[in-house]
Amino acid sequence: MRLAVLLKTVPDLVEELALDEDARTLLFDEMSYVPSEWDDQALEEALIIKEESGAEVTVIAVDTGDVDTMLFTALAKGADYAVKIVGDFDAAMSNWQKARVVADYLGRGDFDAVLSGVQAIDDVDGQLPGLVAGFLGWPHASVITEVRVAGGSHLQLRQEYAGGLVAELETVTPIVVGVQAARKPPRYASVAKVRQVAKSATIDEVEADVAEARLAGVEYVRPVAAGHAEMIEGDIDEVVDRIVAILEERNLLRRA
Amino acid sequence: MGRDLLMALTIVMFLGTGGFFISRMAPIIGVMRLARPTDRLDNVGQRLGFMMRQVFAHQRLMRMKLSGVLHFFIFSGFVILFIDIVDAIGQVFVPGFNIGSALDFVVDLFVTLVLIGIILAVYQRAVLKPERYHGSDERDGYIILGMIALIMIGIVLHESFYPFAAPVLFHVHPRLDPWGFLGYSVAQLWIRTGLAMHPVIAEVGYILGYLLDIGMVFAFLAYLPTSKHLHIFLAVPSIFLHKTRPHGELVPPVDPDAGMAIRTVKDMNWKDVLDLFTCTECGRCQAVCPAHAAGQPLSPKMVIIELRDAVRRELAGGEPLPLAGGVVSAEELWSCTTCGACQEACPVFIEHVPKIAGLRAALLEDGEVDKSTQKVLVGWDRQGNSFNQPQRKRPAWAKGLDFTIKDARKEPVDWLWFVGDFASYDPRMQHLSRLVARLLHRAGIDFGILYEGEVNSGNDALRMGEYGLFETLAQKNLAALEKAQFNQVFTTDPHSFNALRNEYGKLGFDRPVRHYTQAFLDLIEQGRLRPEPLNLRVTYHDPCYLGRWNRVFDAPRQLLEKMGVELVEMPHHGANSFCCGAGGGRIWMEEVGMTDRPANIRMREALTLQDVNHFVVACPKDMSMFTAAVQSTGSEERMKVIDVAELLAQAVGLDEPLDRVMAE
Repeated sequence: MRLAVLLKTVPDLVEELALDEDARTLLFDEMSYVPSEWDDQALEEALIIKEESGAEVTVIAVDTGDVDTMLFTALAKGADYAVKIVGDFDAAMSNWQKARVVADYLGRGDFDAVLSGVQAIDDVDGQLPGLVAGFLGWPHASVITEVRVAGGSHLQLRQEYAGGLVAELETVTPIVVGVQAARKPPRYASVAKVRQVAKSATIDEVEADVAEARLAGVEYVRPVAAGHAEMIEGDIDEVVDRIVAILEERNLLRRA
Repeated sequence: MGRDLLMALTIVMFLGTGGFFISRMAPIIGVMRLARPTDRLDNVGQRLGFMMRQVFAHQRLMRMKLSGVLHFFIFSGFVILFIDIVDAIGQVFVPGFNIGSALDFVVDLFVTLVLIGIILAVYQRAVLKPERYHGSDERDGYIILGMIALIMIGIVLHESFYPFAAPVLFHVHPRLDPWGFLGYSVAQLWIRTGLAMHPVIAEVGYILGYLLDIGMVFAFLAYLPTSKHLHIFLAVPSIFLHKTRPHGELVPPVDPDAGMAIRTVKDMNWKDVLDLFTCTECGRCQAVCPAHAAGQPLSPKMVIIELRDAVRRELAGGEPLPLAGGVVSAEELWSCTTCGACQEACPVFIEHVPKIAGLRAALLEDGEVDKSTQKVLVGWDRQGNSFNQPQRKRPAWAKGLDFTIKDARKEPVDWLWFVGDFASYDPRMQHLSRLVARLLHRAGIDFGILYEGEVNSGNDALRMGEYGLFETLAQKNLAALEKAQFNQVFTTDPHSFNALRNEYGKLGFDRPVRHYTQAFLDLIEQGRLRPEPLNLRVTYHDPCYLGRWNRVFDAPRQLLEKMGVELVEMPHHGANSFCCGAGGGRIWMEEVGMTDRPANIRMREALTLQDVNHFVVACPKDMSMFTAAVQSTGSEERMKVIDVAELLAQAVGLDEPLDRVMAE
């Protein structure tokens, strides 16, 4: 089984988003980036499959900035190969564009399954895995919490629904899977090990052209607060009176 | 005829058991040769002096009175045993050999002491049954005590029959010497019962005594290599080879290719291997371990025993098991607070903490660490702090001051304050940090901080087994420190204090580092701060990384005295302080299998003190842990946790009335 895991970096939300309030643009170059946590889940699930049934894991990232550490970290955790798709890319690259170049690369290989984080903080509606599947013409399943090899070219998937429902799916390969969570919390890669891997392992670089974006961001603004909570102050009688008044205002109080 | 037999038997036993002993010891030495190097032959003079104090004065053993005294009796008997061996074998090989009345007396005196020691030891094991023996090989303990007792009986027996058997066996006529009082008394018994008159009985009695004595000595020799009592041979060299590098340094410089992870016995250093076989299973480490007291699955003793047994199994041809997560479970390893109480208690100076950290490093390399801990490690790597806060917010605490703290990266300062994560980011500690800044300001100290240039010191990362992360963090700090001009480093956090003082040396840093308790004491002595008496009764908690690992015990106590504060010590204080449970990364880890938090145990200890309602701390993590402990023990009304800086601020009249400080 040959597995591809898609990794990407996203702005670090520990820091504030760099927003130019006047130009209404995101300052992509002024933010720091960290690996997307859902992609970490996808990688962990792939590594679990590898440990269970001997799959070969290739991690793939589009070079939108410094992705080397992320790729070396994945190799340190146990991935077999790392591929960096290079070209005229930058941090502002859209998910559609990323999906396009990744799908082009995947189409030339012979992967049995592609695992990606189901979403990311810059892809809250989880487009990326679906787009990749669409470009490749492969089946796609999302919000997956378990991937198992079911012999031959079949995979068993566990998919979560609202209200605690769970579906067991069986699918043929090749397929693109959007992983919600791995079966275990992602493993840790020690700094020394990553450093050691960075010295000994290599990242394969693959050239690609970026497609013209079909959608353009018009403006980025901070959400405006619609209203504020009212803090009720005073002693207990005042507070009670105010609460009663509010309830009456809203016709929520029936007097006997 | 009888003498020839005894001579032949002695030689056979000597060669047989000697050869057996060597054949059992050789593999252990073989393992030590496979292990990593460590320099333990420096400062020979100092090592010898230390060894003498520990071996002949039992300095550390005497911390437990009963055990110390009984051990001293039995131990001294072993020294004296050599006189007896010379005497007994001399009598057989050189007819008429006599060590003289004085030595005869000494031997009998110590036989008495050893027998008393054995009775006390049996009393301790069978009646007192201290918890620290739980998990030890008790059978082995009794076998050894039994063997020693038989040797003692043998000594008296063959001495008592010697005058009656010697004419037949050795054709000499020694007189009965009253100075050998035990042999003399028993001989009187033989005379009165007439047994002394029968040459055959005297001969048999003598030979039986000789075999119980010398024969048992040889049997002992053969038994030792597979017993925990191997310490009889290994304790003295182990104590000589004790660690002499800075006490607070966890590991010496690590070979970057090898790392610090301990996966197999070869990844330990040879002293680590020696430690395993030196352990006597006395359990003093277990008795003082805060994780053990908290009901967690860790006992430092069991870690050593498990490792030793794994080496033994491998020597016997067994398949090697992974040491980290196999031989010693991950739960045991992650329970350790690295407080060092075990090492402080160990009478043979075993170094438990570096082994545990090395085993943790192996777990980390395999990615086995709980989620919350992982988040902290990643946070240190990305943002340089454990609070998942942006680095630029590190100096935010300083904003509430009515003066500006110098940026030590931009202008020279006298004191460079290394603030640390908790004091920078924790809202409650930020208040304390401002108080410390105001105290320094009041004392007219020219001081500065590194602002965003400071990251976590890496002390805890190292103790979690993350050497690479420690190095990364240390190098970031060192780069900032290199840019700064200062005369000394001032720290409020004992963990940072320890890293800068003991761990950064291996990366080339060697500037003076002081803890605020030391620095404030100086300022008072120089008259730069003038505290008024506070007239309080308090107790003081020694932080592990200030006290035990750095031996700063007096400065905080003198500081309290200068503030007119009466100190009432808890039973566990100074080097025997009881950890709050936060160290070694524990503060961020999941509380698995904990029945009682170390901080709560400690708080209850403080609550036993009469009329003491202030619990003084000198470590931001202690403030955090003990504030929680006061709440969870429901003693908010009875005990207040207060930082030594808060007391000082009050004593010098900074406008922080004590009750207001408390209220915050």
